[in-house]
Amino acid sequence: MEKMIFGRYIPGNSFVHKLDPRSKLLFVFAFIIVVFFANNTLTYGILLAFTLIVILLSKIRLYFLINGLKPVIFLMLFTLILHLFMTREGPVLVDLGFMKIYEEGLRQGVYISMRFLMLVFMTSILTLTTSPISITDGLEVLLNPFKKIKLPVHELALMMSISLRFIPTLMDETDKIMKAQMARGSDLSAGPIKDRLKAVVPLLVPLFISAFKRAEDLATAMEVRGYRGGEGRTKYRLLKWHAKDTIILVALVIMAILLWMLRG
Amino acid sequence: MDKKRLLMMVEIAIFAAVGLVLDQISFKMWAQGGSISFVMVPIILMAIRWGLTAGLATGLLIGIMQMMFGAYIVHWLQAILDYGLAFTVVGLAAIIRKPLLQATQSLNKTKMALYIVIGTLLGGSLRLVCHLLAGVVFFKEFAGDDNVWMYSIIYNGSYMLPATIITAIIAILLFTSAPRLLQKVQ
Repeated sequence: MEKMIFGRYIPGNSFVHKLDPRSKLLFVFAFIIVVFFANNTLTYGILLAFTLIVILLSKIRLYFLINGLKPVIFLMLFTLILHLFMTREGPVLVDLGFMKIYEEGLRQGVYISMRFLMLVFMTSILTLTTSPISITDGLEVLLNPFKKIKLPVHELALMMSISLRFIPTLMDETDKIMKAQMARGSDLSAGPIKDRLKAVVPLLVPLFISAFKRAEDLATAMEVRGYRGGEGRTKYRLLKWHAKDTIILVALVIMAILLWMLRG
Repeated sequence: MDKKRLLMMVEIAIFAAVGLVLDQISFKMWAQGGSISFVMVPIILMAIRWGLTAGLATGLLIGIMQMMFGAYIVHWLQAILDYGLAFTVVGLAAIIRKPLLQATQSLNKTKMALYIVIGTLLGGSLRLVCHLLAGVVFFKEFAGDDNVWMYSIIYNGSYMLPATIITAIIAILLFTSAPRLLQKVQ
């Protein structure tokens, strides 16, 4: 249980760590769209160079990025192989007898896997360098316009912070209940699936009951302290927009324009 | 602020956290964030306890938090479908709320089980639809245009089907043996 870490945030002091969460969120969102502009060697090269610069600036060890890739490596290989064998254009590169690999297939396969890699790396860098609580603060500000269509942005952000605060607490609690039930002879990790599912109930009931109790206590505490919604509420954590936040967004816009002009 | 609404908000927040914790302890065995897990149980519980809005909000919070904890985003539309919508729509299980609460009042366990199954199946299939569409977007962009629906159905169905069945079984066992979980404090 101790091994499970929630979130993959790695505290640090790099350029990327110090950026405002708002600019990072905007940046990643725009990047997800801009990636699809690239369609030839030059544009993919520019994108790759840009991604490498961001990786260097974040000072995240490559190990963490590669690690995050493990669960999706299958999908990546699948799409790569699909392109290798299914695209039948251009001259034949390899003839295996039963299957032929064409130049266009190899090219498409490499492009697609690069696109995949860059997307996974960029979104990983966001979650590796920004704590969930700052992402929440950033999202609250960025989603402010949606208040006009009656989306309770403040309430959602508040609930998100409460949720994030209670995840470690509930994790400990679950661990404790699991150990208590194991001490009484229940076995969650072995035996036929039917027994294992039955063993989950005595785990969930105390967990849910204590969660309800926590919720009630917290609601009472908030009421006592006069919580009355988002209007006029001041903040403990303030966001500061620096020059470097503007710089990275400008850099992204310039790259997007460049890609648009150079794409084939 | 109205005490009831405040309590609802806090319960949603805490049960979203419960959902993430359950997601971690259940069988983690599928790639790309899709897992056979009990994550839908708290969403369904909130949908029944407080109604549609609470169910949707719990789902939305779980989706966004999963995204924060390291999501796999390959396309903006896929991100919205996989993380923004997929869990939110599970909250629509709230449509069986009234008949289920009535069955609970009269302690009719067969009827309770029936409504729980209907609610879970509805939530699970709507979630599957979201993942299916997200999968189609992914395979269309990354695997070319052939058989995108088939790939998506095989991939997403392979974990959503067992996940929905397991959620239904757990929900039936849980809510019939502890019906007071479903009732709000007065």
